[in-house]
Amino acid sequence: MNPFEQYALSETRRRFFRRGGNAVGWAGLMSLLAKDGLTPPAMAGGPVGGSGEHLPPIPTHLAPKAKRVVYLHMVGGPSQMDLFDYKPAMGDWYDKDLPESIRQGQRLTTMTSGQARFPIAPSKYKFAQHGQNGMWVSEMLPYTARMVDDLCFIRSMHTEAINHEPAVSMLQTGNQIPGRPCLGSWVSYGLGSLNEDLPTFVVLVARPSNTEQIQAISARLWSSGYLPGEHAGVSFRSAGDPILYINNPPGVPPEVRRNTLDGLRALNEMNFRQVGDPETHTRIEQYELAFRMQSSVPDLTNTAGEPESTYALYGEDARKPGSFANSILLTRRMLERGVRFVQIYHNNWDHHGNLGGRMPSQCKDVDQPCWGFIQDLKQRGMLDDTLVIWGGEFGRTIYSQGGLSKDNYGRDHHPRCFTMWMAGGGCKPGAIHGETDDFSYNIVKDPVHIRDFHATVLQLLGYDHERFTYRYQGLDQKLTGVEPAKVIKELLA
Amino acid sequence: MSRPKGISVAARLAAPRAFGPALALALGFAAPAPARADDGLIYNRDVRPILAENCFACHGPDSAARKADLRLDKREAAVEMGAVEPGKPDESGVVARIDSTDKQEVMPPPSSHKTLTAEQKDVLRRWIAQGAEYQPHWSLIAPVRPTPPPVADASWGRTPIDAFVLAGLEAKGLKPAPEADRRTLARRLSLDLTGLPPRPEEVEAFVADASPDAYEKYVDALLRSPAWGEHRGRYWLDAARYADTHGFHFDNYREMWSYRDWVIEAFNANMPFDRFTIEQIAGDLLPNRTLAQQVASGFNRCAMSTNEGGTIAEENLVGYTRDRTETVGQVFLGLTVGCAVCHDHKFDPISQKEFYELSAFFNNSTQPAYDGNVKDSAPIIPVPRPDDLPRWEALPALVDAAKAEVDARAKAARPEFDAWLAPQTADALAAMLPAGDLRLSVGLPTRDEGAPQVAFESAAVGDFEKDQAFSFGAWIKVPQAGATGSVLARMDEAHGHRGWDLWLEGKKIAAHIVHEWPGDALKAVSKDDLPADVWTHVLLTYDGSGKAAGVKIYVDGRLRESTAAADRLKGSIRTEVPLKVGRRNASARIPDVGIADVRLHGRALDGAEVADLAGLGRAWALLTKPADKRPAAEADAVFAWWTASRDPASRELREKLAALESEREAIKARGTIAYVSQEKSEEAAAFLLFRGQYDQRRDPLKAATPEALPPMPEELPRNRLGFAQWLLRPEHPLTARVTVNRSWQELFGQGLVRTTGDLGVSGEQPSHPELLDWMAVEFRESGWDVKRFYKLLVTSSAYRQSAVATPEKLEADPSNRLISRGPRFRMDAEMVRDYALASSGLLVAKLGGPSVRPYQPEGVWEAVAMPESNTRNYKPDTGEGLYRRSLYTFWKRAAPPASLEILNAPSREVCTVRRERTDTPLQALVTLNDPQFVEAARALAQRVLAEAPDFDARADALARRALARPLREEEASVLRESLGRLAAYYQAHPEDAEKLLAVGEAPRVPDQPPAETAAWTMLANQILNLDEVLNK
Repeated sequence: MNPFEQYALSETRRRFFRRGGNAVGWAGLMSLLAKDGLTPPAMAGGPVGGSGEHLPPIPTHLAPKAKRVVYLHMVGGPSQMDLFDYKPAMGDWYDKDLPESIRQGQRLTTMTSGQARFPIAPSKYKFAQHGQNGMWVSEMLPYTARMVDDLCFIRSMHTEAINHEPAVSMLQTGNQIPGRPCLGSWVSYGLGSLNEDLPTFVVLVARPSNTEQIQAISARLWSSGYLPGEHAGVSFRSAGDPILYINNPPGVPPEVRRNTLDGLRALNEMNFRQVGDPETHTRIEQYELAFRMQSSVPDLTNTAGEPESTYALYGEDARKPGSFANSILLTRRMLERGVRFVQIYHNNWDHHGNLGGRMPSQCKDVDQPCWGFIQDLKQRGMLDDTLVIWGGEFGRTIYSQGGLSKDNYGRDHHPRCFTMWMAGGGCKPGAIHGETDDFSYNIVKDPVHIRDFHATVLQLLGYDHERFTYRYQGLDQKLTGVEPAKVIKELLA
Repeated sequence: MSRPKGISVAARLAAPRAFGPALALALGFAAPAPARADDGLIYNRDVRPILAENCFACHGPDSAARKADLRLDKREAAVEMGAVEPGKPDESGVVARIDSTDKQEVMPPPSSHKTLTAEQKDVLRRWIAQGAEYQPHWSLIAPVRPTPPPVADASWGRTPIDAFVLAGLEAKGLKPAPEADRRTLARRLSLDLTGLPPRPEEVEAFVADASPDAYEKYVDALLRSPAWGEHRGRYWLDAARYADTHGFHFDNYREMWSYRDWVIEAFNANMPFDRFTIEQIAGDLLPNRTLAQQVASGFNRCAMSTNEGGTIAEENLVGYTRDRTETVGQVFLGLTVGCAVCHDHKFDPISQKEFYELSAFFNNSTQPAYDGNVKDSAPIIPVPRPDDLPRWEALPALVDAAKAEVDARAKAARPEFDAWLAPQTADALAAMLPAGDLRLSVGLPTRDEGAPQVAFESAAVGDFEKDQAFSFGAWIKVPQAGATGSVLARMDEAHGHRGWDLWLEGKKIAAHIVHEWPGDALKAVSKDDLPADVWTHVLLTYDGSGKAAGVKIYVDGRLRESTAAADRLKGSIRTEVPLKVGRRNASARIPDVGIADVRLHGRALDGAEVADLAGLGRAWALLTKPADKRPAAEADAVFAWWTASRDPASRELREKLAALESEREAIKARGTIAYVSQEKSEEAAAFLLFRGQYDQRRDPLKAATPEALPPMPEELPRNRLGFAQWLLRPEHPLTARVTVNRSWQELFGQGLVRTTGDLGVSGEQPSHPELLDWMAVEFRESGWDVKRFYKLLVTSSAYRQSAVATPEKLEADPSNRLISRGPRFRMDAEMVRDYALASSGLLVAKLGGPSVRPYQPEGVWEAVAMPESNTRNYKPDTGEGLYRRSLYTFWKRAAPPASLEILNAPSREVCTVRRERTDTPLQALVTLNDPQFVEAARALAQRVLAEAPDFDARADALARRALARPLREEEASVLRESLGRLAAYYQAHPEDAEKLLAVGEAPRVPDQPPAETAAWTMLANQILNLDEVLNK
């Protein structure tokens, strides 16, 4: 082959692959591959780098309000009536049976479906109104109470799933059956990367102080499903290396690694000249990105340079690796460095029993850190284009599971209503949306299904959920699935 | 079973102007060129893609989504509704709608965000003008062996495959690539047939072999290697979703590696694919099924299962059935039948009803809704070790024979027993009772009807210390409702319950031996209930060990299983309160329990003595009744005791039987188990589930195959076996195609149909439809001979091409769909790891066995596992387990092997027939930094340092091991420069050299200088990360 041609070819192909995150690069690649009937999403590799100004790989349909998302998932399902959904009328109902008119033959988990009676357990916690909007907040969340005017509450979330695995899957992927892409993957797929040396979508599994009843959290929740694999979440670990194998072997300092990578590149180039496979250049680039990550990731996770004021804001727990506070501090550092989507899982909200004993530490784990995080984003001018989401996969029952006393009780899973909040990213500050009945059992006003919630989040990111699709198995698949979904306008700023 | 018509949809759709399937194929795929104005349009090629993309979502097979009751996927329906008037485009509704400018009228509607191009509209119009001929979907027409097409260059091809490939290339004006050199082929063949790189000497022998059949000999040798079965099996295990944990919730260990080993063995034995299929889908239903066939039926058991509290049994069962159905759908039918779980399939002719009819075949399992979080969740069978197998298979007959001997002796002995019993008196029997250290024998009121109770207490007896052995028991009669309290006690409740007792807890018998309850005490409880309302002998012995395990519980003279409810005894158990019968010192008397014959011995009686106590006691009770009033069951019980303890002939035979039984137990214990399929006795059936919801049952359905596929012959049973046999019938259009397409994917990196699990309407079209059909027929007609088929593929000229990509070919065939060059793609995760192990010499070539745990960073399991999970703490093996092939790595579904997962290994949660193949920085980090790879680099370095004297020879040896070829000079100069810098660094930093060389458990070679070894280790690490190494 003519060496000049070869060079030209390699440069053309190389640019396409290197600039994969860039719309022009993709367009070029598409034209090259279109001849072959190959669509870009099925390509190996894909966009990795790209400058901060690039257009999203999937053009948005409207002006995006949020550029970044932080999703704080409270695994197990926090009790809405002990935290946000104030039900003073329940005080008179202590140990009385939940009226059948309220329960309406609702499907129960087999943990309580055999109970002889369903005695009502009023919340043991004091509530007070806060902020301009007068939001009722439990004494368990004093810091959250201070920022209610920054938050957008939805007290009327509902789902169909009544057990954890399907319910978490429903909330994260829009489908109870595992295997669909999660919200983070969709955002990665749509908006692409904001940086050159960190993943687009990061997952942190925070360790709760109490681990009495934690639920399984597995990588299937942040898999990319049918979207290309690069959109899967990268799980940062709280112990050991934050990213698997990020550290060089013992006895191999960066200069030695650089040395071997230089040799590797030279040899790979020779091989490319022999074989001419464009993938060889993709691989060279991936090795270079890996090398950059080897310095950018430790820089990200090394919090030694954080001033004392950080800990005043986030709380002392933020010094403890793996805690929720530490995770949300890392989240802020990730956002600063261009990570697009951070998902934190905080476990042990599954209060079937001993709610009174367990609720304080659960709330303490997240209350101040969430407040500190929001204040921090505000100070840095990042709250406006960062959407923060807080909530569990379902709510809990007003009736007690197991023993009931004034001070302690358990609550079973409850899909018919639960409370979530959002902040920043174009959602309406201070909004309080939706109402439930006196038993916090059924929604009486403005129900928000998970599909509606997803549609609303996508809208904030600039996507019309009906048109934000990926073709798979012959269908234009979407996060909101096949049932009708609507954007909740009242939640938008 | 009745069907509306004994013909497939294929034929019905083709009516009225039916053409033969062969013709349909030839027409359907004559050339991939786009339709030109003067062409006759072909439905499958030109028209259907437009309709499928734009119309079928609302006017297709899905009855629920169908708008205006119009379907365009069936000719008669489209014609009946006037949408299509054959030959008259201007009278056809379709044409009017697509041409309309009225927003209310135009199709597709604006809300669908779909628009037709002018060219597409023109195609539809012309197609209708030409008669609007429909075709069934290509993959539903049974393949007929096509004649290989004529080609211009007749010299190139070696196999019929090549004619099809070459014809495609020539149609594009392309020439095939030249044949790759021998070394490249040696490596490619070895990787494709065994998953391992060739050894340098194998490569050289092949290069040097001048005989005309050198290639074939090399291939045959690889096909004979046991690594063949491991490699093929590894692909299959993805499809079978095999793993070592249950998957959901606790995700506990599941012991079913015998299935994995069955798969490897089946490939190595070259089991024909039809048998392979039948045994996995229905091995348990075969007449005279073998153990191996039952193991094979574990295919249906590989699915995930749960034991989550709160889940609903029926929902779980529906989920399991759905998984089994979808897996078979993807693996054998190549159809995404799962789409029809909730609604009629949007594209493929599978209605929701048909999905549930299909699922009925897999809905008849005895597998329970909950897996119990145990490793041996039913139904399972024992699988002995191979060397135990002959004995295991012989044992049942031997046990039966021994039982028969025991029975025969018993029959013969009955008169002897009667003769023994007749003259006995109470005194004579009492004299025979074991007297050893008898401390107390409490009055014996007759054990009559009712519940006699003795009132007895004595301060003189029973004041034992905890290190003293003693035995205590009585005849008791427990009421139906059970009762709770002490039968016999020397216990001081007021002082921490110090002392001991014989305790009845409901219907369970227990002993407390207490210093201070509950912190300093023992408690042993029988596992099973006592019989109610009959006199039962209970006796407990304690050996003075201070452990709960030192308490033995005998019921009616036989040792019973017990559990320790407390097991921490340190202090004294002596107490001054008296021994009492029927109560503790201060407690109320135990109600409604008959107590008689209380005995206390100052030592632990042995089993024979206890048996005598029970047997003689029972004999005495029998004697108190007149001979004709003696209950037969009681007499039989005494007789059983007598033969066991008083008849030497019986005893000998029983011992022989016991030895056989314990031998069987021992074989079972050292073997493993298999998860097997087991059919319920009733007929296979299922319900249509509205929207796929378990609690929304609609019509009951019987097992049946989808109508669009060939009918299931009457003579086949309507169960899994019949289903499997149906899959393999010659007229079946899918099974053979789907299978050969998957094989092609393994070797060429992509299937002829790239959507390997979906040959349905929404799947992609085949790149070489006739080649696919030719291979499908060839494979089936060869007797489904797997090795022969792979040999056919790898001996083709198409396969033997060089992988060099010229600019011309990158332009004309960028992703090698036309097979214009040899395959080159990044190897699967397991191959990448095995490659490093093999080239470094670390690989342990042991076949099969329990899964192993190689290196894995700490915390990978812990991060996702629940605290109660028994696969929460990952502890790497030492020694051989670190170096086995990757298909033996323990597969936890919630956290698959970390390094493999990063390289796109699936989680094995569901069936996977096509892995993704990405290229990410995280993968680079694995092969650069994972201790497994760093250690392999060291071992490789040590190896070349030991076997070659100088740089050139060492670098060359490195290349031959890692690349299967000698080093080129330009490469050697790069390595020389790298090594120079590395050596300089490690000379200057000996501590870093030591740290690097300490990675991994493999021994270092004494006398190899650390700095030099470290430098070569990094050089080897560099080589093992070459694109050329990572690619096939």
